[in-house]
Amino acid sequence: MPIEIPKDKWTGSIRAVTIGGTSAEGGTRAKSVTVGGQTSMPYLHYEALTPNKPVIAIEIKSHKPDDWSPLLAEAWGEAMAEPAQWAKKAEEAGADIIVLALTLADSPEDAVRVVKSVLSGTGLPLIVWGPGQAEKDNELLVPVSEATKGEKIVLGICEDKNYRTIVATAMANGHLVQSRTPMDVNLSKQLSILISDMGMPKDRILMDPTTGALGYGIEYGYSVMERLRLAALQGDAMTQSPMIVTPGFEAWKTKEAKVGEGVPEGWGDWKARAINWETLTAIALIESGADVLVLRHPESVKRVKDAIEELTIPA
Amino acid sequence: MQHTVSFTHNDKQTPVEVSTGVLLSDAAHLAGIDIGQPCGGQGRCGRCAVQVREGDVRRRSTLRLSPDDVEQGYALACQTVVEGDVAIYVPPQEKIERRLTTDRVVAEVTVPADYEYLQDQTVRRIHLELTPPSMDDQTDDWSRLQTAFRLQHKMERVACSVNLLREMGEVLREGDWQVTAIVETSRLTDEKTCKLINLQPNHVDEYSPLWGCAIDIGTTTVSVWLVDLMSGQVRAQVAEYNGQIARGEDVISRIMYASKNGGGEELRQRVLDTINELLETACKRVKARPEEVVKATIAGNSTMIHLFLGIPASNIRLSPFITAVNHPPLMTAREVGLKIHPEASVDCLPGVASYVGADITAGVLSSGLDNAENVTLFLDVGTNGETVLGNRDWLVTCACSAGPAFEGAGVVNGMRATTGAIEEVWINSETFEPTYRVIGGGKPKGICGSGLISLLSEAFITGIIDKAGNVNLMASSSRVREGAHGGEYVVAWGAESESGEDIVISRVDVDNLLRAKAAIYAGFTVLADTVGVPLETTDKVLIGGSFGKYINVEKAVQIGLLPDMDWSRFEFLGNTAVKGAYYALLDWRKRERITEIAKRMTYIELSADNSFYEAFTSALFLPHTDMSKFPSVAEALEGKVNK
Repeated sequence: MPIEIPKDKWTGSIRAVTIGGTSAEGGTRAKSVTVGGQTSMPYLHYEALTPNKPVIAIEIKSHKPDDWSPLLAEAWGEAMAEPAQWAKKAEEAGADIIVLALTLADSPEDAVRVVKSVLSGTGLPLIVWGPGQAEKDNELLVPVSEATKGEKIVLGICEDKNYRTIVATAMANGHLVQSRTPMDVNLSKQLSILISDMGMPKDRILMDPTTGALGYGIEYGYSVMERLRLAALQGDAMTQSPMIVTPGFEAWKTKEAKVGEGVPEGWGDWKARAINWETLTAIALIESGADVLVLRHPESVKRVKDAIEELTIPA
Repeated sequence: MQHTVSFTHNDKQTPVEVSTGVLLSDAAHLAGIDIGQPCGGQGRCGRCAVQVREGDVRRRSTLRLSPDDVEQGYALACQTVVEGDVAIYVPPQEKIERRLTTDRVVAEVTVPADYEYLQDQTVRRIHLELTPPSMDDQTDDWSRLQTAFRLQHKMERVACSVNLLREMGEVLREGDWQVTAIVETSRLTDEKTCKLINLQPNHVDEYSPLWGCAIDIGTTTVSVWLVDLMSGQVRAQVAEYNGQIARGEDVISRIMYASKNGGGEELRQRVLDTINELLETACKRVKARPEEVVKATIAGNSTMIHLFLGIPASNIRLSPFITAVNHPPLMTAREVGLKIHPEASVDCLPGVASYVGADITAGVLSSGLDNAENVTLFLDVGTNGETVLGNRDWLVTCACSAGPAFEGAGVVNGMRATTGAIEEVWINSETFEPTYRVIGGGKPKGICGSGLISLLSEAFITGIIDKAGNVNLMASSSRVREGAHGGEYVVAWGAESESGEDIVISRVDVDNLLRAKAAIYAGFTVLADTVGVPLETTDKVLIGGSFGKYINVEKAVQIGLLPDMDWSRFEFLGNTAVKGAYYALLDWRKRERITEIAKRMTYIELSADNSFYEAFTSALFLPHTDMSKFPSVAEALEGKVNK
């Protein structure tokens, strides 16, 4: 007996957001990347196809990080000391986007210089994060934004206590913003409202709902993302932005990924375990609707990309 | 085209010539008449109302004016343009303030129309004439007194304390066997049994006051009403912050403090001191002594009642949240430590559960919710935001912790609604300059609850703070600045204030207010959802709380404290708990009614699932994360955002 699969009809859809400015828009990117545009819950291809696949961003830093796992240092090698080189290697590893994280050690001039060097080292679209301290973020991101007009960079990270300066400079220079809130549907929505109240076009906002790594609260993050997606499809304009998540950052701070010695033997090979942790975290988030995944290890990138290919084959 | 606008102001006529389309406010300016526009000419405040007595004008907006006002020719000067020769009357400013219809002024306390001392009151003052003893009549004093009670007042059984026995002999002889007794009967059982409270020599003028008091022990504010039980009139109303505040702002921290060694006794003493001082102040006002007060009725949340009586309250905080007593038995002032007549009855009204106490049962009585025909919502905006939904057939209730912000506590420049408190604020959206009104009209000392609501709403509508409560430091005004606690807005400069210090609202204050309003809003929305009653279908929203004279409904809606519905459905009742205690003090039937109400109420525990938290975080925004719930606020903001 043929079984009819019930199909949901949604009134809302996810906004398509394009990152990266090509020469046509006054930028220098080889190509831009578009995410979002979904009209159904993730990968229910009998309801609707996935118009834009999830994309992978690889996170690099303006200075070689000393708190990253030696496994990551081993993977990226010398390139870690030189952001432009690192970005190039990341592009070769399969990144669709580069996330460049600035540090507290950067001066505004350093920040502009390093962003420009990364822009010349790769043709990929760019996401630039401040070091994560409100005043310093604003101090670095404003000159970066002004120096890169037309590149359609995503500037971040906007939080509810510090978003005005970043949004204002992004608006003035044609960039996008990343809006981060701590795992709560209402808070996500509230920050989107605050940002769009300033006049920021809604198709220049990426929503970062924050997530936890596998075993560290991912189910909570998963459920928040799922509820955000449901609200968006039900027509809530303030939850319709594509979602960016940071499984690389989350997974690589877990003990399972970070520590190679003094752990139970049953945990198995350290490297395999660490990469599995990052990969599994990322894939779970893809299932819950993530559009941009920020990863750290090249092997994870490869595996997650394979998973995306499989998921997005039309039924 | 030129027109003549003829203004009449302060009995003086001033004509000016203007062209078509000129605003009346601009024309008045030309005529040298200063029409106040606290909102900056946006048609938001209604303070510039004038009366068009002749001629043609066009009203761009009549927000703030009732259809009646418009019928009578009233128009907002900042929103009305000249279209022909007109005659305009500019009323004095204070008349305008009274005209404004959005302020729902709290009703004055009136004695219940049907109050009959002899029918309703349990306390009775009676005169007794005793036969003096002699060598032939060797009856003892007490029996002699009992006989007089029986023969002259049909009081068969009179109870008496040993203290009264100690004084009795002297009083009887001093009055030459003519005495006045104050007795309390239990009207519920029979009138023949009573308790002797006081015995004094001679006659007392039968019309002289017989004092009783109604008390509400709030977590933040304690209120005392001194009542003449003969006439039923409230003769003095006083209030003060609960002295326990120094040991914790909410009930949970008080309970924790009380469970420490000696903490319970300290808290008991602190609240007693507050009440006794208030009693003294109230008595002084009517030239009476506290010892003349012969009956006290007390409302308060369950924790406050426990702490007042010195009963351990720790189980209120611990699952499964059980009180020691919901309905304390009658006690005497001597036992509990109230400095009124030591034999006076102290009647603590019954509560429902740990977090729905006698303040709410008393509030339900005084608000009339228990008799309402249609479904009505009753909100008690206090440190604990309690909500009751229902009508005469059913009542459900819930409670949530809102914090003391709306009582002016826990806010840097907050204060109670007394003289010197800023009770209303308007902010000019162009210049960010405020206009404020101070209770009593003098220099401001601080901001009370209604002032804080007003200020929050104005700061939000004018863009000084964003929807999340962040102070917009990009706003071009010296009043917006970085303070010790983050961004802040200066409401009054030191030069204008009583203390000489700037009066500000800080980011921290805004957060406290947001949490308070979010908790209250979430409480009643979750309660309504739980019983499946859409808020829009409630007939009335009754609001109780320790605000001053009134709460501005429009502003309370703008900050998302009250639901966005027709303003005429809101009714502001003032302190409903003390009013309920007052009714119970006067009338034993009403007192019994409160016991019935307590039995009828169904308590809903909000912490049972996550729906409250969800509703709380979505309400933690101005006015609310879901803007579709606040269409009138969206409309008010539209003008701003488009600019």
